[in-house]
Formats: sequence, C-alpha cells, structure tokens
Amino acid sequence: MPISLLGPYGRSIITAAVIAAMLAFTLSYANEYAHGSLLGFFEWMETTWFGIIGKTWGGVFAIIQAFHLLSMAVLGGTILVSEFRVLGIFLNEISPQTVVQRAHSTFVWALVVVLFTGVFMACGVATKVYYLPVFWYKMLALGAGMLFHFYIRMPLYSNDFSQLNPRVLQMTAIASLLVWFLVAATGRWIGFSG
Amino acid sequence: MLNEWVYNIAVWLDDTRWSTMLHESYYMYNWVESTHVLTLMLSLGMLFLIDLRMLGWALPDVPASKMASRLNTPMLIGFTVMFITGILLFYAVPVRSAQSVWFRIKMVLLVACAINAYLFHKRMNESVASWDNEPRAPQRIRQGAILSLVFWCIIVICGRFIAYDWYDCNYGQTAFIEFMAGCVDGQERF
Repeated sequence: MPISLLGPYGRSIITAAVIAAMLAFTLSYANEYAHGSLLGFFEWMETTWFGIIGKTWGGVFAIIQAFHLLSMAVLGGTILVSEFRVLGIFLNEISPQTVVQRAHSTFVWALVVVLFTGVFMACGVATKVYYLPVFWYKMLALGAGMLFHFYIRMPLYSNDFSQLNPRVLQMTAIASLLVWFLVAATGRWIGFSG
Repeated sequence: MLNEWVYNIAVWLDDTRWSTMLHESYYMYNWVESTHVLTLMLSLGMLFLIDLRMLGWALPDVPASKMASRLNTPMLIGFTVMFITGILLFYAVPVRSAQSVWFRIKMVLLVACAINAYLFHKRMNESVASWDNEPRAPQRIRQGAILSLVFWCIIVICGRFIAYDWYDCNYGQTAFIEFMAGCVDGQERF
C-alpha cells in the first residue's frame, strides 16, 4: 500500500502501527514461543569474545558501562539541544534547521557508541538479561526511539520549518524527548532488576 | 588524622535515622540513584556539547559564545540536581563511601573540573570575540575542553567503580590502597 494513501501523516501512522504491533506481540502468547527460541542465541552471546571478556574482567565491563553512560549523556544532550531549540526554549538566534542538522551528526556517533557498548554489556550478562522483562522493554523502547528518530523526526525536520504546523513540530519535539527519556530510564531499570 | 576525622563524620552520619532509612529504602534509594544517573544527560550532555563545539566536532557553525551561554543554564540545573542526589547517595552509605578509593579520586577530580571550568570560561570570555564564528577554538581553549572531557570520563568511570568492592578496606588491601582509601576500621561499620 503506497504511503501516500495514508495522507500527510503516513509515516506517523506506520510507526504507530509498528509500535502497537510490537507491544501486542510482547503481551501475547506468541511472545512466549519467540522468547523460548531466542534462548540459544543469548547462550551463544555469552560464548563470544565480548561475552568472555565481560564475564572474566569486571573492570573492563565497568569501563564499558561507563562509556555507555557517557555516550547516552551525549545522545541525550543532542536531543535536548535540538528539541529545546524546536520548542523555542533556547538558542533562538540560530535557525532550528542548523541546530537540528548539526546535532544529528553528533547524535549518530553517540548512538553508534551506545549500541556497541550496549551489545558488549548484553553479551557479558546475556542469560541474565534474557530473563529480565525490563530488558525487553528497553529493546522495545530503543527500537521505537530509532524508528521514530530516523523515520519520522529527521524527515520532518528536514523540511522548511516555516512551512510546517508549529503544533506538529512541538508534538514531535516532546515525543522525541519522551521516547529517549524512556530508553534511558528503562536502561537504568535493568540495573535494579535481577 | 584527616582520615580519622572523615571517618568520625561518616560514622556520625551513618548513625542518623535518615541515613539508615535512605539506605534501607529500596524505592527511595533507587529513585535517588536513577535521578543522579539520568541527570547525566542534562549536565554532561550540555557540557560535552560545549566542549565538542570548542574542538570543532559538534555544531561547528553555531557561534561558540552562544553555545556556551545558552547551554550553561540547563547544564547548571543538571549539575545542581546531580550534586544534591550525590550528597544523598553519600549520606545513605557514608562509611563505605568515605573509605572508597574511587570516591576519593572522584572528589579530587570534581575539584579539578571546577578549576578547569573557571579557567575555561575566563579565557573564553577574554578572547571569544575574535574567534566566535570559527569552527575550532584557539589551542588554549581546546586544551581546556579536552581536559574537561578527560576528567569527566574518569569521574564517570570512578562513579561506576564505586559500586564494585575490589578495593574495599575490609578485604585486607595493600598499604598503598589502604593509604589512598584512608582505611580506618576495615569498614566494619558498613
């Protein structure tokens, strides 16, 4: 089905549908089958170099954890700066396109480090996080965050802001802040579980 | 002498009812710790963007003075929250924290960061008019930015290491670690 049939909010509708489908899957019985079939993969993760290093040297694991936090800080910083500018809270003398586009390249680097360090950490405690519901919530939040960011937010922000409905821009900025806060908060929650 | 004094204060704090309540409260302690960690995105997120801007690695076409001045307020709000929650985390576990080598390194580096930030802003305000729109700041400013990034990376690593007990006093450490951690009673109190 062409996206154009969904009107001007086709990407938003598709993203919302994907997130709703992921949530429905998470809460359904089908999830139990899929979850069971992934156990072998998580056991394999612990046998990889990342898994062995993470389990053997606690110091390396802690340093990678620290860089995960630092990259999350940079990622959060780029989101805060961009969205606060879109909301007109600060940096109002600079065009929102300039702030958003320049912050985006830093965001991508931070996201790469977040993902790399996240995979390393997951390998070290793979069979533990496998049984933690909050780990799957975090993955769901991260997937939703990346889908929202690259599929809705950036295409929207690449347009001329003066041609866009200010209400849509505000809603997008607030949604972006909330989704990345959710990613960070669920990540922190993993530390308290298990 | 100084270690004894720090230890006595830590013991006095540990004896207070609120310290025990905070330490034993599963939800409250987690809320405080989570706030401390999540505020990193506000405080260090802003600080790192300012530092990376000075190095020409982030938002190079945004004037440096505007970046520094506009991001300063949210950054300071973030650091204030981190400072308050950090004090509460220390208050919850004072004896162990006061005798943690990582906590002590972290405190020294926090002071170093404060001095570096003061010098960084002083130098920037003195000369920013001549390079405000340049993608990279002059060398002295860049050195300050690199120092800030390195110090804060080590501070976060030390913060992470505090949770581990490798160098806790009650494990019979080497004389060097005992000196650095200021071990007094082997953390029997904790």
